[in-house]
Amino acid sequence: MHSAQAKYQAQMIAPTANRPRPLVLHVDDDAASLIMAESSLEEAGFDVVHAENGEKALLQFKAHEPDLIIMDAVMPVMDGFEAINHIRRNAMGAHVPILMITGLDDLDSITRAYNEGATDFLTKPINFFVLPHRIQYMLRSKRTADALRSSQAKLDNAQRIARLGHWDWSVDTNELTWSSEFGRTMGFPSNMLKGTWTGFLEKLSDDQRHSVRMAATQAVEEARGFSVEFTLINSAAEDQDRTIRLEAEPHLNEQGKCTHLLGTMQDITERTNAQRQIHNLAYFDLVTGLPNRAQLNEQLNYALKMAKRRESKFALLFLDLDHFKQVNDTLGHDAGDELLQQVSGRLTDVVRDSDSVAVASEPDDEDDITKHTVARLGGDEFVVLLGSINRVEDAARVAERIAKSISAPYTLNDTEVSVTTTIGISVFPADGRSAEMLMKHADVAMYHAKEKGRNGYQFYSRGIHEQALARFSMESELKKAIDNGDLKLAYQPKIDAVSGEAIGVEALLRWEHPESGMISPAEFIPLAEETGLILPMGRWVLQQACRQMKDWIDDGMEPITMAVNCSPAQFIRGNMIKDIDAAISQSGLPSGLLEVELTESLFLQDIENGINILQSMKRIGIQISIDDFGTGFSSLSYLKRLPIDKLKIDQSFVHDLGRDPGDGAIVSAIIALSHNLNLTVVAEGVETAEQLDILRGYDCDEYQGYLISEPLYADEFLSWFESHRPSPLRKAG
Amino acid sequence: MTNHIDKSALQAITSLQRPGKPDLLGRVVDLFAKDSPAAISAIVAAVETGNLEEIRVAAHSMKSSSAYLGANRLSEQCKNIEQAARNGSELECMAYCEGIEDEFEGALAELQQIVEKAA
Repeated sequence: MHSAQAKYQAQMIAPTANRPRPLVLHVDDDAASLIMAESSLEEAGFDVVHAENGEKALLQFKAHEPDLIIMDAVMPVMDGFEAINHIRRNAMGAHVPILMITGLDDLDSITRAYNEGATDFLTKPINFFVLPHRIQYMLRSKRTADALRSSQAKLDNAQRIARLGHWDWSVDTNELTWSSEFGRTMGFPSNMLKGTWTGFLEKLSDDQRHSVRMAATQAVEEARGFSVEFTLINSAAEDQDRTIRLEAEPHLNEQGKCTHLLGTMQDITERTNAQRQIHNLAYFDLVTGLPNRAQLNEQLNYALKMAKRRESKFALLFLDLDHFKQVNDTLGHDAGDELLQQVSGRLTDVVRDSDSVAVASEPDDEDDITKHTVARLGGDEFVVLLGSINRVEDAARVAERIAKSISAPYTLNDTEVSVTTTIGISVFPADGRSAEMLMKHADVAMYHAKEKGRNGYQFYSRGIHEQALARFSMESELKKAIDNGDLKLAYQPKIDAVSGEAIGVEALLRWEHPESGMISPAEFIPLAEETGLILPMGRWVLQQACRQMKDWIDDGMEPITMAVNCSPAQFIRGNMIKDIDAAISQSGLPSGLLEVELTESLFLQDIENGINILQSMKRIGIQISIDDFGTGFSSLSYLKRLPIDKLKIDQSFVHDLGRDPGDGAIVSAIIALSHNLNLTVVAEGVETAEQLDILRGYDCDEYQGYLISEPLYADEFLSWFESHRPSPLRKAG
Repeated sequence: MTNHIDKSALQAITSLQRPGKPDLLGRVVDLFAKDSPAAISAIVAAVETGNLEEIRVAAHSMKSSSAYLGANRLSEQCKNIEQAARNGSELECMAYCEGIEDEFEGALAELQQIVEKAA
């Protein structure tokens, strides 16, 4: 009965090593005990090995690694106590259960056995029926202990990976116990798992200690949890400052008094670093390290809140770099980035040095200081927020300093570069009471400053606003006009001064607004240039003019030259050559019949590039004339380098012919020079016969003007032309 | 022959007997017959020389081996001797030692008789 039950239980116990039955090492100098116990244990499902003294037991232990040891206490050579001592010091034997056999009356031996590391004891004479049950119980305990140890090890490991430790502070005794990860993080020795709360606090720097102590003390007093973060400077665990989060909840006694704080500690350095990185990405510009638009908005809203509360002023400076694109295009994007970095450095310096200028009043408390912010919005756009100013003039002073600082030369890749900045300023509350309004108005002011000439600053004003509004509405009207076909071409004939025949025509753009009537090109062309609408508009003019001339020719009209005015913006910002090519090939007009009229301003900035463009146009075969000659800088020296065909004398010179001898001299000189350069000369704006006579006297080649005809729409022109067609006789001659 | 042996102790041993294995009681009695005379002589000799430590060790082992075989009087005698030796009383040792050889001989003879009868 006993043995059958024992056997069943023994099989329930998983042996330590990989064997079917648990192995027991039985150590006794009494051979009779050994064989009786063996019989009982084998019946119960154990395997048994023997040793007759402590010394032999150590050898057997090493050889067999038993699951359990039965150890007699008193033996010759080496007694059981000494043997246990040896086994326990061996790593293999640290946890093996040991059953000590002692005399019934020998209390000293029992105590000693436990001191040496025995797991349990049994008195002699051994009850061999009870023995297997005792052993099974011990093995089961061992298994539970193993599971617990394993679980503890897993927990330790998990906590180590999570950098999570735990602790328990007994408030009354000041004793603090902690987990291994807590100890590792705080730099306590690995075998030290308890100490005092005070000892823990001493590991912290003074200010950190203060905040942790305050949080904990308050938590105890109010019997509630706390969560506090602190920085562990040069912790022993790693040679780097660590960010630690301490969290705790109170443990209360029956009276509701907090007796313990139970808590966790987690090393959140990596998470904190990642959060900081995310924050930086979200709130700072990567190129310059300045706050970005998102952060500016936050600062701006804060400044608004503070200024409203204190009824104070602050200013927003909106600025961009003049001609930044040229730096980017010529020196490359790396140099462009470098320039932006240097600019942001100067801006920061100026704004920092302006602190004393701009602080409104003594702040009430620390939180009340509204800082100045320099932010980059993107591209070459920056915003300076002057958090509080006394007077509007303070903003102007800072703007002046910024303009001066930015315009000092930069060195990029050993190249000296100069840029200037244009600044628009809006001031709270006069120019707006919301972030959006202030930003918009500073932007508007900046554009206005640009129109007045770059490298300056401009305060926002109502007038600017109205102009901007008017311009904005005209811009949208112009878009509509292009879409609705409200733009039309009018044609003004060009007459051969000698023969009187019409030899060409100039296409002029007309905008007939459905409500406002005729709008002057002088009004809408600059706007179109500014907004970029000039590009689609210019393409349309080219195509329309070429198609018109081709239609006339197809209808039997004598082929004459079609002259089209082109804006420098079309060359600089668009692809003019491509547009001309497309207009010619789509219309089928012979390229020699197209004439492009350009103004001198195209050559103002870069004459070499201008010459390149003209040469490309000449390769297509079209004619080129310089329009409005005499009104620009009219450098005669470059004129001979340009591959052009014609020069058009501006109508302002023609207008006073016969009244102002000076004009006559200029016109005569231009014509003589042009002929010298083999250029045809066209006079514009001829209104009287007297003017024509004088021009003829100077050998002017062609003319146009109200004397012969105002600009005519296509159908009018055709009938005009029919009545002025060159006589076949003359043509033959 | 008086009763030296408590038969229930022997029944306990035979109940540990596993089928198909050598006779357990016979082996235990053989071991007792082989080792015990020397142990008894050692006790007697040590008592004569007054070597208390030897007395204690020899009596200790004899105490338990005789107890297993139900030789209760012999075991009791050895226990007293061991205790006296531990207490440092040579005189007591001598007193308890009285008649130990006869008691041993009697117990052994009775055990051997039982084993033979069983076989």
